[in-house]
Amino acid sequence: MSPSDLSKEEAFRKEVRDWLKANLPKGWGTPEYKAPESFTRETHELGKWWTKKLYDAGYTGFGYPKEYGGIERPREEIAIIREEMARVGTPGGPLSLGLLVAAPTILAHGEEWQKKRFLPKIMSGEESWCECFSEPDAGSDLANVQTTAVRDGDDWVVNGQKTWTSMWEFADFGLLVAKTDLTTPRHRNLTYFLFDCKSPGFTRRPLRQMSGEAEFGEEFFDNMRVPDKNRMSELNRGWYVAMTALQAERSGGGAFWGGGGLAMGGQRGLTSTVQNIIELAKKTKRYGKSAWEDPAFRQRIAQLAIESESMRFSGARMVAKMRKGIIPTNEASLVKNFQAEMRKRQGDLVMEIIGAYSQLTEGSPHAINDGQWVYAMLRARGATIEMGTSEINRNIIAERILGLPR
Amino acid sequence: MDFSLTEEQEMLKTSARDFLEKECPRAHIRAMMENEPGYSADLWKKMADLGWLGLVFPEKYGGAGMRFRDLTILCEEMGRILLPSPFMSTVLLGGLALLTAGTEEQKKEFLPRIASGDAIFALAVLEEDGDFWAGGIEVKAVGRGGEYVINGTKSFVCDAKAADYLLCAARTKHTANPEEGITLFIVDAREWGVYASPLKNMDMLRKQYEVTFKNVPVLARNIVGEVHQGWPVLKQVALKATAALCAEMVGGGEKVLEMTVNYAKERMAFGVPIGSFQIIKHKCADMHSAMEYARSLMEWAALAVDEESEDASMAVSMAKACCGDAYKKVCDEGVQIHGGIGFTWDHDMHLYFKRARSADTAFGDGNYHREVIAQSLG
Repeated sequence: MSPSDLSKEEAFRKEVRDWLKANLPKGWGTPEYKAPESFTRETHELGKWWTKKLYDAGYTGFGYPKEYGGIERPREEIAIIREEMARVGTPGGPLSLGLLVAAPTILAHGEEWQKKRFLPKIMSGEESWCECFSEPDAGSDLANVQTTAVRDGDDWVVNGQKTWTSMWEFADFGLLVAKTDLTTPRHRNLTYFLFDCKSPGFTRRPLRQMSGEAEFGEEFFDNMRVPDKNRMSELNRGWYVAMTALQAERSGGGAFWGGGGLAMGGQRGLTSTVQNIIELAKKTKRYGKSAWEDPAFRQRIAQLAIESESMRFSGARMVAKMRKGIIPTNEASLVKNFQAEMRKRQGDLVMEIIGAYSQLTEGSPHAINDGQWVYAMLRARGATIEMGTSEINRNIIAERILGLPR
Repeated sequence: MDFSLTEEQEMLKTSARDFLEKECPRAHIRAMMENEPGYSADLWKKMADLGWLGLVFPEKYGGAGMRFRDLTILCEEMGRILLPSPFMSTVLLGGLALLTAGTEEQKKEFLPRIASGDAIFALAVLEEDGDFWAGGIEVKAVGRGGEYVINGTKSFVCDAKAADYLLCAARTKHTANPEEGITLFIVDAREWGVYASPLKNMDMLRKQYEVTFKNVPVLARNIVGEVHQGWPVLKQVALKATAALCAEMVGGGEKVLEMTVNYAKERMAFGVPIGSFQIIKHKCADMHSAMEYARSLMEWAALAVDEESEDASMAVSMAKACCGDAYKKVCDEGVQIHGGIGFTWDHDMHLYFKRARSADTAFGDGNYHREVIAQSLG
């Protein structure tokens, strides 16, 4: 890279930094900023507002053709935008599933009218999406989907139940995998649809998880009609579309956690978590001594710091690859597993540090940090299950990265 | 901090791999295991001709003037093939100590000879307790006119039989602070009174010795750095050597992963390749993950040392703890997945397994470095 390229990059970095400073919500990143509670309408609206702002400034929508609302920029600028957004930790919110999963799937498999109709509003954040894949009897074994769609004139009539749907509550549209052939074998009996969440016969309700809140939803289809033009694959070829969607979700997730510069911010967060744990250990008296003096705790906290830094620099290595035009895909499984398993270890360690107080949850007068450590420990149990269980991701690493036989 | 390799670095990596695969086949490694002092002078000369031995020395001392990051690329390849050679001892420890703290005269005298393959060094620091710390140093050097006389025993000295010179850390003054009063001497390894006896250590590709000094005279001009101020020099040198050792460990660990995955693809049991069993897949996936994260910290450490960044010592401690654990883990699983053949002397797996152990103890193991990290974090 020549010095003039470098100074051009620095100038662009400053431009992005200044823009972020001017446009983020007031007080963002400081203690006086009070974020709206997760999974509420306010958070959803904040995400929409922020996405629109980004879109108007040309800071999102990369990798899509202009005619579908995409924004073109040199790779180096995209990397800088992501790094700078990560540095301050910008609002994400409920729209990300549209960009993360719906958009790449529609781009790869959608009809021309679907691309023109849906992609621009995903980019600009005007419409949000959910993905109706998992069912009570189809999790890791997604091909076991039991929801059916039966042809009736120009429509399909959908019946069944979906579960573990992220960002379910305020979605305008949904991606749906349903069984369209009851006689052909697995993988060749599924079709992929786009549906409007306002359709009659569609209902949704929260699914409460062990950590207490309802981050995910359950959806019910009771003779819901979907026009045939909303079909997104050839009949009974939906499995392959679903694979695109899952791949996109994981690699998007990978880019989010470890890859596309966003990681750098995420990891900054983790490092400060280690600092918080050290502060907690210093304050916590166990058997009359500060927990931070206990060599066993010191070893494990240091180990956590090592792991969180290794995440950060794995992200930096991925950024280096992306700058050379190599897009990480299967590596996402690696990052996802490492991050999820580390969250569990971190949660467990904190519980051991605080001892008896690990039993007290939010609202208890004596709960440490109002039960947030306990919540994080509980929520981490889901991290190794969602977006592909650790076991499924290990299969992906073994088969697609290492080339072991299926 | 840029984590991608330059075109030149990619070329260095490829040419090093090709060279080592050709010059260091299995038969050579097996021969060196049984050989004393445990390296091939011919191969050493070829490495000198390639410019490897003086890679990071300035050109005026016969070097190639390349960067530390380049050197770690070579170390990675050497670790991958388990090259039996006194490279680490001579270049990373001896050479860098002289480059860091040597007088102009010493640099002119020794660095060109290291670069040309005519001077081999070994570092004699550890003693009876085997730990790399100032408090363990009791070998004494007493001033007598224009020279010093060294007495005592050093242990765990790598490559002592191959060495022409020993870089010996001796106590010249007792103070409350053990890090003060240590002086570094260049000792001619063939001097009267220097005795090296093999320790028969497990890692036969990096042989270690006990070295006894009996009234060994050293001229004052062979002191490296200031009198009594040798420890800070050693710490600086150890930082670089540890980063290089991490590169070696990652090279070795990745090779073990490759060997194991290939074996799992070929070895049949119950009519199918064992690599189609989920339990084997998951072990391999975890090995891969361990090596990826070890590599990230290793590359960070190598760059941080190269750029003399202020977090270099944190980076090196994190990398060393992580690479040590990862290398031991992949070797452990590697032996297990190879099954019976992996437990034989004939298979190479045990050579990596043993290197993982010897590298882990060198310059502080995981427990040591985690405590160092804890101290600097809070």
